[in-house]
Amino acid sequence: MAKEKGGFAGKVLRVDLSTGKISLEDTVAKYREVLGGTGIGYKVLWEEVPAGTAPFDAGNKIVFATGVLAGTGVPCNGRTAVTTLFPSCWPQPLVASGHMGGHFAAKLKYAGYDALIVEGKADRPVWLFIRDGRVEIRDARHLWGTGIRRATLEISQEMGPESVVAAIGQAGENRVPLSVVMNSVSHSAGGVGAVMGAKNLKAVAVQGSGSVRIAGDKSEWERLVKFHLSILGANNQHVVPSFPHPQSEYYNPTSRWVGAPGKRWGAAEPPVEINGGLFDLNRISFRSNSGAFYLGDQAWRYTVRGNGCTGCPIRCHTILKVPSVEAKYGIREVAQNTCGGMVFGRSFFKQLPGGLMGPAALEACMVGMHMADDLGLWCNYGQLQRDLIKLYYDGTLKTKIGSDEYASFSWDKYENGDPAFLFEIIPRIAMRQGELGEALGLGTGGLLDHWSIPEETWTQDSATAYWKLGHPKHHANEDDGQCGVIINTQYNRDAQCHSHANFIRNGLPLAVQKKLAAEIWGSPEAVDGAGDYTPMNIHKARRARWSLVRKELHDSLGLCNWMGPWVASPLKERGYSGDDSLESRFYSLATGEKMSREDLDLIGERIFVLHRALTIRGMGSMEMRTRHDLTPQWIYQDLSGAQSFTKGTIRMDPLDIARAMELFYEVMGWDKATGAPTAKAYARLGLQSVADGLAVKKLLPGVEG
Amino acid sequence: MTGQESQTLCQALAMAIREASMAGQLVGKEVLLAELRGRSLLGSEEPGVPDMDALLAETLAANADLAALTSISGEILYHAPSLLSRTYAGILDSKASPVRLIAEEVRRNSADYPRPLPLELFEQFPFDLIPEQIEAGLKSMAADPEFDDISFITTSTGSIYLFSSRHLERPYAAFLAERADTGLLLNP
Repeated sequence: MAKEKGGFAGKVLRVDLSTGKISLEDTVAKYREVLGGTGIGYKVLWEEVPAGTAPFDAGNKIVFATGVLAGTGVPCNGRTAVTTLFPSCWPQPLVASGHMGGHFAAKLKYAGYDALIVEGKADRPVWLFIRDGRVEIRDARHLWGTGIRRATLEISQEMGPESVVAAIGQAGENRVPLSVVMNSVSHSAGGVGAVMGAKNLKAVAVQGSGSVRIAGDKSEWERLVKFHLSILGANNQHVVPSFPHPQSEYYNPTSRWVGAPGKRWGAAEPPVEINGGLFDLNRISFRSNSGAFYLGDQAWRYTVRGNGCTGCPIRCHTILKVPSVEAKYGIREVAQNTCGGMVFGRSFFKQLPGGLMGPAALEACMVGMHMADDLGLWCNYGQLQRDLIKLYYDGTLKTKIGSDEYASFSWDKYENGDPAFLFEIIPRIAMRQGELGEALGLGTGGLLDHWSIPEETWTQDSATAYWKLGHPKHHANEDDGQCGVIINTQYNRDAQCHSHANFIRNGLPLAVQKKLAAEIWGSPEAVDGAGDYTPMNIHKARRARWSLVRKELHDSLGLCNWMGPWVASPLKERGYSGDDSLESRFYSLATGEKMSREDLDLIGERIFVLHRALTIRGMGSMEMRTRHDLTPQWIYQDLSGAQSFTKGTIRMDPLDIARAMELFYEVMGWDKATGAPTAKAYARLGLQSVADGLAVKKLLPGVEG
Repeated sequence: MTGQESQTLCQALAMAIREASMAGQLVGKEVLLAELRGRSLLGSEEPGVPDMDALLAETLAANADLAALTSISGEILYHAPSLLSRTYAGILDSKASPVRLIAEEVRRNSADYPRPLPLELFEQFPFDLIPEQIEAGLKSMAADPEFDDISFITTSTGSIYLFSSRHLERPYAAFLAERADTGLLLNP
């Protein structure tokens, strides 16, 4: 029985919005070999959603899945993967996933479910009521047309304050491909809101009164949780502070560990001063302040506190209270988010008075969060804003929209960095108003198609940060050379992988990073300094593979890959090592099923390769190397003319990247000619039936057509 | 002095060094001697003064958590690196000389991480230099061949970063400065 196993909630909830049928499946019996999260998502799409299905078809499914460690005491466990066919993937929709933190994952587990599969399409707006064993499809006509805040409030009033609501805003309702589902005020999964909208699903609300059973020894569990806390750094596992401190040998001015003693959460009532020891386990939440990282010291006076996900001491969602924006812009004085969500508004501007950390930048962030987090708009990891910047400043925009529409925007405000401009642009995208609003909301691929702009216009311009398939880079060569490039070729949206970037950016001196690299990946040559890249080697390929496998593992265990893996630590006495076996040790204790690091990594690889198989089937081609694993031209250029492998350039060498891909395919056991997994690779991962399915379609290397 | 007496004094010295580190201070021989007297472990007269150098050497040998550094004044200073790190100790030791403080920190960062350092860092705790001190320090360095490796870069936003040409080539330092100044902020 699943309950006896521990970790798993035990059931997967399936709701058919077309028929109203609600059913249950046994998680362990059906999905154990893919753990949870993206693993369940990919499996459902593989088995149940035929190739050729469109994202907004009733036949598409959307899978909200968490994992074994969600809802437990493991740090950073609040993640839900939302997997579906992505409407922003271009030129054809393919499988991808959005990921949200907050408290949805834990509540789903406490209600008894590891995952929720939504299929079909309701004939009217509905929301899904889940309270333990009671599941109902409820009328949402009164909520349709409202923002996320209103929908969340009304549903919470109906369900009770302990419920968690994951809702879409007007962007999702309007099937804007760049839209989110959001829970717990600010925790969003990008790219999936429109799929919910197409199903007439306004929200999923969950309340659970159960718990997650830990099957293993409780004392050992407690010790491991404490140990994990001890090797945590700050946001993104930056393991050294941004300031010199008596207790730390190292510091890094660009670290996200910004909570220096004496800094204050100035908008808390009463204000709270950062105090205590640097490594105190009950003060980890003092370390990170996304507001201060992105907006500088000014943010401290506006900081209420850090907010975050279930079981996570990092608290990366900073709550900011800026009273002046209420009077100036008529918006709420409080907002919260992190990273791309926090800087949503600021990112629209090429320049701002006072720069990226000035008062205008702060106001732009507040206005952006106010609107985007209510309308449910997705930034596509900043590509939305970069698209507008490129369209405007290279003059394309003026030729693409009518003169009346063009004149309806206050471009002087835009050029001058006036946050008031955001009131003109953001709602139009969410409401699909006008040519520009419509085009921007499609995502880059749709936009290029819509206006017949060659993709090369974007792929040749490094300022766009555009990568492929309608999506941007996400920690590519600018952070991690060939390893970053490989990782960015693998997905059907931005890669969202932090396994590699969190290590590269951890703040330790290069010699220490290389020492750790030798311990973890077998050679110091697995790691280069940023912008000081050496030619490709097998160790980098192994690190790319490890990074991808750990990403999928985290996404399928309910852990946060934005924070992990935890292979480096702040602890001098450990030589700054973290623990590469943490995930498997937690899994073993939670479930009671002994699982080695290698065995768990094998499952992670299985999940990753299942994504690959879905992509191959979706594209109807196994020519991954030439048709999917693409790189933009800008990575082979340097505006100053610097050659590859000279210090101070991120310019890659085409032949070296070709070798990088070959070495990566080699360590994956894939066919080097096509970049497709071989029958042997599928079999090694227990995916024989997947190989058989692809062979029938002549999508398996070595199978003659 | 008997072995037992010597051991007692070493234990007291170790404790005093740790307490000073906990309070964010480096300590030298004279302060430690006063500490021993303050704890009534020594007589107040000269004949009661032990060989402090030998005692401190013995203390360091017996306590692996303690360390010594040679101050820029030439004095030997003691600390417990787990409580007061070597890096932090170096900063404290150089604070009396803004020129040396800036130069040594820039060199260490250029060599180890490697990275240039933003000039504004030196206005912040624990450096706590005022802009006038920084400006005077930079002018002084520019005129002194001992510091001819210390150079600066201005990023696209106008921020100034310092680096040591002994350890970083200018183009690489410029790349790293730009990355630190805006690159990482625009790449969340």
